[in-house]
Amino acid sequence: MHNFEPDGRRDEALFRPIEQTTRKFWMTVGILVAIILFAVAMFVRQLVFGLGETGMMQPVTWGFYIINFVFFIGISHAGTLISAILRITQAEWRRPITRMAEVITAIVLAIGGLHPIIDLGRPDRLMNVFLFGRLQSPLLWDVTSISAYFAASTVYLFLPLIPDVALLRDRKKKHHWLYDFLSWGWQGTPEQWKVLHRAINIMMIVVVPIAVSVHTVISYIFAMTLQSGWHSTIFGPYFVVGAIFSGIAALFIAMIAFRRAFHLEAYLKPIHFQQLGKLLLAMSVIWTYFTFCEYLTGYYGGEPAEMRTLLYKLTGRYAWLFWTMLTCNFVVPVTLLSSRKLRTIGGILASSITILIGMWLERLIIVVPSLENPRMPFPHHIYVPTLTEISLFAGALAVFALGFTLFAKFFPIVSVWETQEGRQLGLAETAERVTGYLPDDTVSHA
Amino acid sequence: MRDPRGPWYERGIRTLQVLSIVLMWSFLAGIVSWVINMVRVSHALGDALTAAVGISLVAIPVYTLVASILTYVYFGIQRGRRGAGR
Repeated sequence: MHNFEPDGRRDEALFRPIEQTTRKFWMTVGILVAIILFAVAMFVRQLVFGLGETGMMQPVTWGFYIINFVFFIGISHAGTLISAILRITQAEWRRPITRMAEVITAIVLAIGGLHPIIDLGRPDRLMNVFLFGRLQSPLLWDVTSISAYFAASTVYLFLPLIPDVALLRDRKKKHHWLYDFLSWGWQGTPEQWKVLHRAINIMMIVVVPIAVSVHTVISYIFAMTLQSGWHSTIFGPYFVVGAIFSGIAALFIAMIAFRRAFHLEAYLKPIHFQQLGKLLLAMSVIWTYFTFCEYLTGYYGGEPAEMRTLLYKLTGRYAWLFWTMLTCNFVVPVTLLSSRKLRTIGGILASSITILIGMWLERLIIVVPSLENPRMPFPHHIYVPTLTEISLFAGALAVFALGFTLFAKFFPIVSVWETQEGRQLGLAETAERVTGYLPDDTVSHA
Repeated sequence: MRDPRGPWYERGIRTLQVLSIVLMWSFLAGIVSWVINMVRVSHALGDALTAAVGISLVAIPVYTLVASILTYVYFGIQRGRRGAGR
């Protein structure tokens, strides 16, 4: 094997956003940096005045920060997991999607991982987790599993990036030192391709159980307590399903945004949206099934504390949020995605936005109502987020958008070599594979 | 204008690349010693469940694998360069 198309001229559209900086880019960066700076100022304020700046108070000791932590870590499943599954199953339509999916994981994991630190009243005591951490705490399992997933997914993003970085290095237009450093001396020789393919193959298998385990472990911070609404055996798979569901929705939004901003219509075609849209539809149905199982078991047991929390969600103060969540996660996506006519890019965008809203509400409905209904006789407290918490949420979203924008400024957002490989080898490989699926002529005639 | 292919430049880039691999292994060493220390302390205090130890230990093979793959790819790419070792 060799460098498929060494100059990459045919895929000039993928290099253009890196080599040309528009006014739109600076405006986007400026707006996002302004939002982030405001969030940082609010965080400094929280550091000075303490967690009293938030809406959290006994017994509601977890609010926006932990909701966002679970939400962002969930979105991170888009990337690595979807990319790995599509690679393993040799789905040919994966080629323009995988890079974006992998970038989402790396950025969002970093953002999600910071949220428990923001939630600390005394972040200066963070080192105590490392010095005096106690192994039986599921929060500590989160530290190890999230950091392991972050390391694995960053490497999984980096390895397929090497040939593209080498292409950028050889174009000699910008950032020589960066591309020289990151390309690791790549020349596209057969030996190098062999090593790279072997490593990517190992990583794509390894990241799947890691990704699944991470969100299972995150569910344990709830499920390992006896709190009503949390102590559930299906919380692990329920969280994983929700994570993949919200992850695909986030991936769609990124795909549509970059398709429009970078004019990638030739790469991200309606067929890609159609195919991934079917997966989103399936995840919507599976998520609804898990939600039904989760609530029905709680209801059927009739345990007083469990019933109090359940009714609080279904008919009480959180009812409008609960039914909005169901509408966003089931009614809207199933309506829009089950019909081929409505499964357009616009329909998919609408579904993805509602799903992200719905999944965020799901995290809220899991975290807060259970805390507002403690088993112990605490005085009742209604959680209302403050401007500080809302600003930090907006700041986290801005960090995500900025991270993605900056990545796209330095690296191709669609894998160039995988696109070229698809053109040169994918067609023949797919034809050979399909022939292999069909009955053998000699056997059928015998 | 500086020649990006000068020997010092190339040597500097190589050093940084090797350092990034060393950093990954140092990170692994840090994680391993941290987890082992926690297991030791938990045993001393008698407060660790077997499952809790198991879940935390999973991070060690994951980091080892990731560091090994990075090392394998880096040195594999260096070995596979045109004219390398010939």
